[in-house]
Parts: sequence; structure tokens; C-alpha cells
Amino acid sequence: MASRRKPGEARLIALGVAFTMAWVGIGFRLVRVQGFEAAEHEDRGEQQRVRAEDLAAPRGTIYDRDGVELAVSIDAVTVTVNPSELKAPGALARLLAPKAGVPRSVLRERFTKPGSQFAYVARRLEASDADEIRALVEERDIAGVYFQTEAKRIYPASDLASQVVGFVRDDDMEGLEGLEVKYNDVLAGVPGQQSVERDPYGNPIPQGESFIDPAQPGADLITTIDREIEYAVERILERALAETNAISGTVVVLDVATGEVLAMATAPSFDPNAFSEADPATFRNRAVADVYEPGSTLKVVTIAAALEEGVISSRTVMRVPGVLEIGDKEYTDEGRHKTRKMSVAEIVAQSSNVGTILIQDLVGNKRHHQYLSAFGLGQVASGDLPAESAGRLENYSDWCDTTCGPSTAIGYRVDVTPLQMATVFAAIANDGIWVEPHVVREIISSDGSRERYEPTERPVISETTARTMRRLLRGVVESGTGSLAAAPSYTVGGKTGTTEKFVPGEGYSEDDRIASFIGIAPIDEPRIVVAVVLDSPHGETEDGSDLRFGGVSAAPVFAQVAEAALHRLGVPPDVR
Amino acid sequence: MVLTTRRTEPVTILQRERSLRPDLLLVLPYLALSALGIVMVYTASAPRNELLGIDPGTTVRRHIIFVILGFAVFIAASLIGGRTLRSLSIPFYTGSVVALALVLAFGRELKGAQRWIEIGPLQLQPSEFAKMAVILALAVLLANAGAELKWNHIAAAVFLVGLPAALIFRQPDLGTMLVFAFVSVVMLFVGGTTLRQLAFIALTASVMAVALFQVGAIEQYQIQRVTSFLDGGADRENANYNHLQSQIAIGSGGIFGKGLFAEDATQTNLSFVPEQSSDFIFTAVGEQLGFVGGTIVLGLYAMIAWRLLVAAANGRDRFSQMVAVGIAALLVFHVFVNVGMTLRMVPVTGLPLPFLSAGGTFFIAMSLGLGLAHSVWMRRSPVPDE
Repeated sequence: MASRRKPGEARLIALGVAFTMAWVGIGFRLVRVQGFEAAEHEDRGEQQRVRAEDLAAPRGTIYDRDGVELAVSIDAVTVTVNPSELKAPGALARLLAPKAGVPRSVLRERFTKPGSQFAYVARRLEASDADEIRALVEERDIAGVYFQTEAKRIYPASDLASQVVGFVRDDDMEGLEGLEVKYNDVLAGVPGQQSVERDPYGNPIPQGESFIDPAQPGADLITTIDREIEYAVERILERALAETNAISGTVVVLDVATGEVLAMATAPSFDPNAFSEADPATFRNRAVADVYEPGSTLKVVTIAAALEEGVISSRTVMRVPGVLEIGDKEYTDEGRHKTRKMSVAEIVAQSSNVGTILIQDLVGNKRHHQYLSAFGLGQVASGDLPAESAGRLENYSDWCDTTCGPSTAIGYRVDVTPLQMATVFAAIANDGIWVEPHVVREIISSDGSRERYEPTERPVISETTARTMRRLLRGVVESGTGSLAAAPSYTVGGKTGTTEKFVPGEGYSEDDRIASFIGIAPIDEPRIVVAVVLDSPHGETEDGSDLRFGGVSAAPVFAQVAEAALHRLGVPPDVR
Repeated sequence: MVLTTRRTEPVTILQRERSLRPDLLLVLPYLALSALGIVMVYTASAPRNELLGIDPGTTVRRHIIFVILGFAVFIAASLIGGRTLRSLSIPFYTGSVVALALVLAFGRELKGAQRWIEIGPLQLQPSEFAKMAVILALAVLLANAGAELKWNHIAAAVFLVGLPAALIFRQPDLGTMLVFAFVSVVMLFVGGTTLRQLAFIALTASVMAVALFQVGAIEQYQIQRVTSFLDGGADRENANYNHLQSQIAIGSGGIFGKGLFAEDATQTNLSFVPEQSSDFIFTAVGEQLGFVGGTIVLGLYAMIAWRLLVAAANGRDRFSQMVAVGIAALLVFHVFVNVGMTLRMVPVTGLPLPFLSAGGTFFIAMSLGLGLAHSVWMRRSPVPDE
């Protein structure tokens, strides 16, 4: 070992240098990651742990006036699978198909979609059906099937007041029709938010940061609808549609003192629990969304204005010619006559167009227009319902000097909704005080606080004029065009209306009429107003009367509704 | 000369007799790292075990058994003399190769568990001992070859390394193969290969790698790990997920870390980092102990590496020197690749971190290696040659 030299001493040094460089490299990297990028990595870590989740707010319930549920949310169960966890998707599809009510082939396709992590078996099953599936799955120890609670909207009264209540879209509970859409924000509540820290397996971290903004449940609505009256009205209306061959019909029952809508029916109707299978045309609430020319029923405004302005009295007698030529129009009465003397009562009872136009002339266009406005024409009546029309009342400045006043006096050139006309009569019934009609009586917030709706009121005519008007309207039933409106147990008053149906784009129809009767019952101590509007009734009654006339087709509906409603309200009969 | 510290000290007879005293500069870092490893393994494994519904201490208890065994092996290896070791080297090498072949044979039957064989309650991973066997065999070869390596030595070296490498390749374990390559190149380099010979080896290895790639013998996931690393893209691949999670863990530790058992050490507590108690143990250090803790750990490794190179420089014979060089290369490579992996500097290869990672066989094998190198230092040449 004479010349023992360090083997590759230089190379050993080189190795040491190389190792040192490797350490320096790691050191630099460590400084960068833990020093300069530390905050960024901290953020990324938090981002992958914290997940924001929505908390659904329970939707409020819609009640009738007595607290019976018309629309309510229940917990339903949605069944899902994670296809990647399924061992035998085909067999599971066969097992679940009958319970889920979904064809086997559809399920199999969902379960076998490549790379899929999520598939529906069935959405919003009733708890009992879901329990059956759960039992099957547990019995066979099948992995990958999940159950989650989802709210489902149901309408226990099915088609009762369905156009008023409306319905929601299934998947997100957004209101689509009726009160469900008009009061959607109130009913829906405010969804909460929850941010939860989760581990990589999706479990919440107990000591993790979490932040809960609880969902605020939606408020409940108490409507003014009386389900008994509503039910009776709907049956009567359905029958009337069948008997008069009308395309559709609507009935509004108003409490005259409060403006509450006791019933609001539209036929044909639909079941909101299965709205997707119904004809969308039946969704429309014709009592507020459809407009028509009111015809003779609007004469009450003309007469009331004249009485209130003192240009006539109930005892005034007019010389009424057979024909009145104004501008390019000829106005005549139904059943032509020569010039004759008619009292105001006769003009109303016989629904004389000429007589009414003469009275309107005494009032004058300007004052006439003021009364039309005061009675609420051309303005949205309740504002509680979606797609509610304001109707059409031209500005006074747009009125012509010739036919505008006369035509309006007898219910043309004006578009109204059935609810607006019911409200006009309610003002007469309510001693001249116009009360805003409404469907929602009370809103009960999730904290229990109650907000009662206060309708606006305004005097339109004097109590005396109102009383005179009611006497005149009683005459319509007792000795005029509205005799078929007489109810068995109650004295009533009202006004018939028959107008040629205006079809947009085509003009007035030769044959189709809008037949209506709007009346007050009992006439001496009024409780309710009932408005009946039928679209295009046809045919004749057994005794040969033409069903196209309001006095023939609509008046009997009024009689039945008034009788049923007053019974329900416990009003003592005033007819022996 | 930096590496041979004893040069400047006076040489006495006494020192000859004291020469079996341990090198505390090597032993203390080893003990410190092992102790820290136990703590880290516990923090990284307990929450996950709890989640799995088993005793949180399960993993760490198993690890502690291996640490104790490892200490015993370290002491035993430190006491083995160079001559005895040299005579044991070839049988040890032969035994390792046979064990690898057995694993391969049984592995086929045991589906997937190809890297382990069970001896009683212990699962052993022969490939870890194979690393040591290759170092010993190469050291014997280089000692026999003398200062100047001939081409036939090179060929023999390639064969010695190639045989176990081929067996491991069938498992497959890319990380261990890279260890073989690095360690043998370092040993040959220090052992005196000419640059031409090194170039030849590099060329051969490259051609082999390309050939294997072409034949399709390299598993798809191994290619993916490399490509996903090279792409640098976000969370697409699983391998990249590992990288991302480990980087988040280390990065969010900042300068001082979140503290041991800290509740907000979420990457660790919530098991976001996969394989954290084994391959990704450094992320637990990084998140909980921060830059300071990471630097101390790296410093302890540097200290051991320095002591190993000192041992190599002072080895009493060529065999001992080459053993120390090989162990140093093995340790440095493991640390660099492992820490580099957690810091997203190198692809995910699955090489554990010496003395810190849970993983019994590796701890014992590394303790054996360190003990052998320690023995080299304790029996270093008494008189520096001038």
C-alpha cells in the first residue's frame, strides 16, 4: 500500500458539490412555495374545502278563508343513483321500474350511461312509494342508490278555484299561474345559504369553518275564497255551460261590504295537480283576464249618474222615440216600438237603449265619464291576480261629440272584466261606497306576524241614489228582462246584459253573444253581488227562449248561485 | 481538504483504540429524524384511521415496531467489520435477487401485492434490500477492479445492476429502478470510470428505456405521471391531484407552519394528501412545521450526507469507501426525489423519505445502509495519507 491515494478524490468533491446544489435547489423551491406562494396555496386549500350550498325555503301555504288548504308543500322523496357504483344496472332497472313508474328501458339507459355519476330514478315520489324502493334496496344490499327529500306542491282541493290559486313549476317551485305566480315572492321565502367545509370524501368537517344563513320560509296566504260557495258555483257553472252550449263562463261572488271575493270560478277548469296534461286555455282566469263590452249592465252607471246629479228622479217620465239617429248610428230598443212614454223604472226594467241614451244626454259626456271612472272602469280592480286586465275606458279628451257618449251609455265602446262589473254593482249594493275587490285577505309571515289587507274605499254615489238604484234593479227581476234571476228564497235585483261578441280582427260576430247577469242579493239588505258572464251561449230553452240573451242564459245561473251562497252565509230567507 | 476532517487533528495511539466510538454527527440526526418521523406518521395517519373507524394509532404503532427493529439493525450493521461485510456481500446480493424472483413468482398468484413477501406478521419488500445488495455488489466489483476500470468491469457492473433492475421492472417499480441507475452511476463515477465509459452507459440506458417504451412494457400510469407533470396542467390527472394537494399542504404551512396537531392543518387532518404517511410525509412536515421545520429536516439530511461523504473519504479500503459513497447516493437521491416530488419539482415516483416515511422495510433497509456507512467511519483509516 505504498502509494495509497484517495480514490477519485476530485470526483468525491464533485459529488459533494452536486449534492449541495441539489439541496440549494430544494431550498429555493421551499422558499418560493412556503414564502412567496404561501397565501395562494392557503386560499386554494380553503377553496377546495369550502362549498356553498343552497338551503331551500319551504313554500307558504294557500288557504281558503276558513283555513282549509288550497295549495300546500309536502316533502316528497327523490330517488337517484350513482351509476358508477352500480354492480348490476340492468337488474336494478328491472327491479325499480315498476315502483318508480318509469319504463325499464329508460332506467337502464340512465344507469348505463358511460362515465355518469348521477341519474334520476324518480323525482318527488310519495313517501310510501319511496319507502318501498328503500326496502327493496336495503333487503338486497344494493349500493349506489340515494334518497333525498324534495318539496312537492300539491293542491288538495284539485280543481277548486284552480284559476285563482294557479300552480308552480315542478322542478324549481316557481309560480306559473294564479296566486302562485302573483304572490310568488311572498310564498317562496328566501333560500338560505350554507357554506360548509368538507373533507375529500364529502363529509362535513366538525371543527371546520361553517356559515349558515338560514332559509326564510315563505309566508302563508289566507284568501277570501269560501270553498263551499266556490264549489257550489263551479258545479252550477259547469251545468250552465252544458245547458246553454256556452264556450266558457265565469262567475264572481263578491261580499259587498268588504270587497272580498267569496268565489271566482271559470269553466272549463283544470286540475293543477296535473296541469301539464290540461289545455293551457283553461288556465286563464276569465273573471279578471278576459274583457268584454258590458252592454246593458253598464246602464246602471248612466242611470246612477243621472240620479246623483239630479237630472232625473225615479219618478221622471221620458218621451222615448223608437229610433234615435246620432252621427252615423241608429239606436233602437230590443223589440221595436213607436215613440212612447217610459218611466225611469221602465227604462231600466225593459233595458231601453233609447231611454238610457236620452238620460245620458241629460248627464252630459263629461260627468258621465267621471262616474265611469269613479266606478273603477279602466282601472285594474284587485291587483291580487296575474294577467288582470284594466279593461278599456277611453280618456274623456278622446271622446267624440256624437256617438261616444250614447254608445258608452248602453255599454259599448268600453271593455270591462267580470270582476270590474261585479264591483260596480257592489258599490250600489254597499250604499254607494266603492270597495276595492280582493282575493287575498291576510298574509301570515313565517314569524307568525299577520298582515291583513285593507282595501281602499271611496264614495261614488249617495246612499239615497244607491237605494233608488236597488229599487230599480229589483224591478228588472220582478217585472223586466231579468225575471229568470228570481231566487226561490231571496228577493234579488240585477241587470241583464247581452252584447254582440267582438272578435279581435274580425269585428262583431253575427251570431255569438256575451250574455251576462249581474245582481245583488238580498236586494233590501245586500250581502253579495254575483256576476255571471257566459261566452257564446247558443240554442233555445224548452219554452223557446233564445239562450243567447243574458236574461235567458245568465239570469238563472245568478238565481242558483245567489240562493246557494246566501244559504251558506246563513242569511235568512226573505221570501215566504 | 474539507471532507477529511481528521487531517488537521493530531494523531495519537489513543485514537486508534477509540476508533469504535460512534459518529454522533451522524447518529444524532438519524435519531432526530426517526423520532420526528414517528410524530409525523401519527399526525398524517390518525385522522384517516379515525375516519375508517379503526384505532387512530394503528399505523404509528406498526411504524414504531419497525423503528425499533431499524435501530437494532443500525447498531448491528455499525459493528460489522469491513472484511466480514465484504465476504457477505455476494451472498447477500444473490439472496436479494432470489427474493425478488420469488416475489415475482408469488406476486402472480397474490394479484397485485407483488412488491411484498410476508414473513410471519411482517411484510417485507425485497426491493428495498436489493438497493443495499446492489451497492454492496458494486462496491466489491469496484474494489476488485482497482483504480482503473476496464470495459469488462463496466459490463459486469451493468449486469450486476441490470439483473435485479429487470426483476423489479416486472413488478413494476419505476422509482426503485431510477434509484439503481443513480446509485450505480454515482459509484462508477467516484470509482473511476472514464467519461467515455459513463457516456456509453448513459447511451445504453437511454436506448433500453426507449426500447421498453416502444414495446409497451412501461405501464400507462407511469407515462401519465411523467406527462402530467410535464404538462403542468391543473387537476386533470390523478397524479397531478397528488402534486396539487401536496403543494397546497406545504405552501399553506408558510414560514412557521400551523403547528403540530393544529386543527387548521386541514390538508393533513382531512387526508387531502394521498399516501401522506408514506410517500408524502414531507407535506405533513411542511404544513404543520412550515419552512422552519422543513429546513431543519433538510439540514439533518445534509448533515448525514456530509458525514457519509466524510466516511467515504476516510474509508480504510476501497470497498468501504465505495459502500459509503453508495449509501450517500442512495440517501441523497431518495431525499431529493421525494421532497422534490412534494414540491412539484419532479414527477410522482413513489420513493419514500428516509427515516420519516411510514413503511417498515424501507426504514430497516435505510438503517442497515446507514449502519454500514457508520461502520466505515468507525473503522476509518487511522493515519491520513500524505
